[in-house]
Amino acid sequence: MKSKLNYLINISLKRKIKTKWFLIANILIAVVIAGIINIDNIINVFGGDFNNQTKLYIIDETDLTYEIFKSELEETGSFLDDGGKMNYEIIKTDKTHDELKEILVNVKEEETSIVITFTHSEENVLDVSILTKSYIDLMDTQVLTSAINNTKTTIAIANSNISEDVLASIYNPVNIERIFLEEEKNSEDENMEMIMTTVFPIVILPFFMLTIFLVQMIGAEVNDEKTTRGMEIIISNVSPKTHFFAKVVAGNLFVIIQGLLLFLYAGVGIIIRNVIGGDSQTAGIITEIGSMASSVISSNIGSSLIYIVPLTLVLMLLTFVAYSLLAGILASMTTNTEDFQQLQTPIMIISLVGYYLAMMAGVFKGAIFIKVLSFVPFISAILSPSLMVLGQIGVIEIIISIILTIITIWILIKYGLRIYKVGILNYSAKDLWKKMFKALKK
Amino acid sequence: MLKIENVTKYYGDFKAVDNLSFVVEPGEIFGLLGVNGAGKTTTFRMIMGLLEPTEGTITLDGKPIDYSVTDHIGFLTEERSLLTKLTVLEQCEFYGTLKGMSNEKIHERLNYLLEKFGVLEYKNKKIKELSKGNQQKIQFITAILNEPKLLILDEPFSGLDPFNVELFKNEIVEMSKRGSMIIFSSHRMEHVELFCKKIVVIMRGSSVLEGYLTDIKDKYRKKNILIKGNLDVDAISKIKGVISIEALADEYLVKIEHNNVSNEVFKAIKNTNITKFVVEEPSLNEIFVSKVGESYEK
Repeated sequence: MKSKLNYLINISLKRKIKTKWFLIANILIAVVIAGIINIDNIINVFGGDFNNQTKLYIIDETDLTYEIFKSELEETGSFLDDGGKMNYEIIKTDKTHDELKEILVNVKEEETSIVITFTHSEENVLDVSILTKSYIDLMDTQVLTSAINNTKTTIAIANSNISEDVLASIYNPVNIERIFLEEEKNSEDENMEMIMTTVFPIVILPFFMLTIFLVQMIGAEVNDEKTTRGMEIIISNVSPKTHFFAKVVAGNLFVIIQGLLLFLYAGVGIIIRNVIGGDSQTAGIITEIGSMASSVISSNIGSSLIYIVPLTLVLMLLTFVAYSLLAGILASMTTNTEDFQQLQTPIMIISLVGYYLAMMAGVFKGAIFIKVLSFVPFISAILSPSLMVLGQIGVIEIIISIILTIITIWILIKYGLRIYKVGILNYSAKDLWKKMFKALKK
Repeated sequence: MLKIENVTKYYGDFKAVDNLSFVVEPGEIFGLLGVNGAGKTTTFRMIMGLLEPTEGTITLDGKPIDYSVTDHIGFLTEERSLLTKLTVLEQCEFYGTLKGMSNEKIHERLNYLLEKFGVLEYKNKKIKELSKGNQQKIQFITAILNEPKLLILDEPFSGLDPFNVELFKNEIVEMSKRGSMIIFSSHRMEHVELFCKKIVVIMRGSSVLEGYLTDIKDKYRKKNILIKGNLDVDAISKIKGVISIEALADEYLVKIEHNNVSNEVFKAIKNTNITKFVVEEPSLNEIFVSKVGESYEK
């Protein structure tokens, strides 16, 4: 005879996975994830030609500014654009303003043409006017302003009769030596920390989503069995304990499967990008991920990942278990789905608080409040790995979080099961809390 | 044998069942009767092990009822206990497996019962797509799928037309002939009278009447006389022991305090033009109303 626990786990999992809605939802999720990864290609497909160069018509009344400006513009553009491609076509022109105005009037909607006039100024070294048909985008404004200011500085320095050597030394970037009192620290890791602060909230987003899936799935299933009174038949054949654990195990297996599928969809998205987007205007995401991965591996954080990743995974799995136990207990207390949805709101808020704190951890470095909260079960899985990546806590603190989560799970099983036993066969909201407290004391 | 001994159940300060005792032998169909809130469902839940009695014991074949014996019990709840998103087949596989049945046995029994109850065509339909009556049939099938030793039926005829009531009755009687113990509650006293050998009537959790139905009726002194003909109603109503006279469509129903009064009534009308004079046992409903003090069928 089949074990009833195994059977209940199996049937509960099948009821979630072998449905057309699971299939439809996953097709949509896969399309959305692959779409996000390839968003620039999609925009390019639907949005027209984004490779249009902005035409810069330069009227240089000073006769010396054009070359300096061109060089400054290339340098500024190269700094801003990682690919080093200049998206400006610079045209030195002898045309008059009126002739250029005529050109600007006839420019197409999707094209941008700018007329820049440099004139000599005794007072300001250089006077500049910028003529366009309409508004230009903010990036163009910033790039041009920066290049023009640098041009003015260069001309002013040149006019000051400073020698070429001195001039070169002025332009050379300052050599900053980064020194750490702690010997194991280095500047590569410092930069990596900044990257991880940005990247980590994205990495933990699936965990946050899966937690919501888990809580809702267990709640809906328990409520469905309860409201149809099927629970009476089930509980007359298997113990509430077996039923409870079956729901918890099935729920956790479901989110693990769903989590793996999310990674699979992301992988498929990257492969698609690699196939169709290799020559895209923007730098390939694979190259970026690859270079980021190599930087992470070569840094000290890379070696730390050997224990950060397993500890984070253990903490996340334990937190899933804690959430599923809590969801099962709360669902058993409610008499309909609407009540459960109201009761699950605080769980969602707690999880959301953890997520926001994880994002803010980089801003409020060393905050005692955030450190203390990183030990709190339910949010520790989100918060403590973030703090660990930022170097604010160590392995010991993560292990403490794991131990606290295990203790929480034990408490939920020991006392929650008592509530579950009474709750699943209770159909009245009257004296609900009294009944639950009585069950706890039993 | 199912034995309920001095069972009491409290919900907080409220006594739902008070010192209840009865025995159901193999092959017996037992009626547990009572008004709404009398304690029937609580008693059923205690038998099923869903609730623990505060006091007293419940045993099946001398053993306490736990998960080692529930595989041999069938339970039909008063409310629908079907998972409406499942198909009939999935539902029966689910409950059947929980009863420890193998897949082959489930399919074999299910096909037999679906055909017997005329619902084979709905095997792959979702429960929620079925009519109320067909849902009740499926619920009944899930309760008897495992050929239970003890079958508990809480209002089994709810939502059924007379034809299907007959179908259920036949199956219940067949099961009792095969040795199953059957306990059921119903608001329809004619159903109880038809096939229950023993009954217990409970009110506010305690038994007010129990025993074999024939004994109960025999002991119940009040009788009914059905008389057809020209009747001097005033003269009969003055006879000592006549409780009431009720004019029916084409006859009179005379209620009397005990059997001896029927002789007095007969003497009073024997010289008149009478075509019918029948002394009847009171209906179970009358006995019930008399004992419980209110109409059960309200």
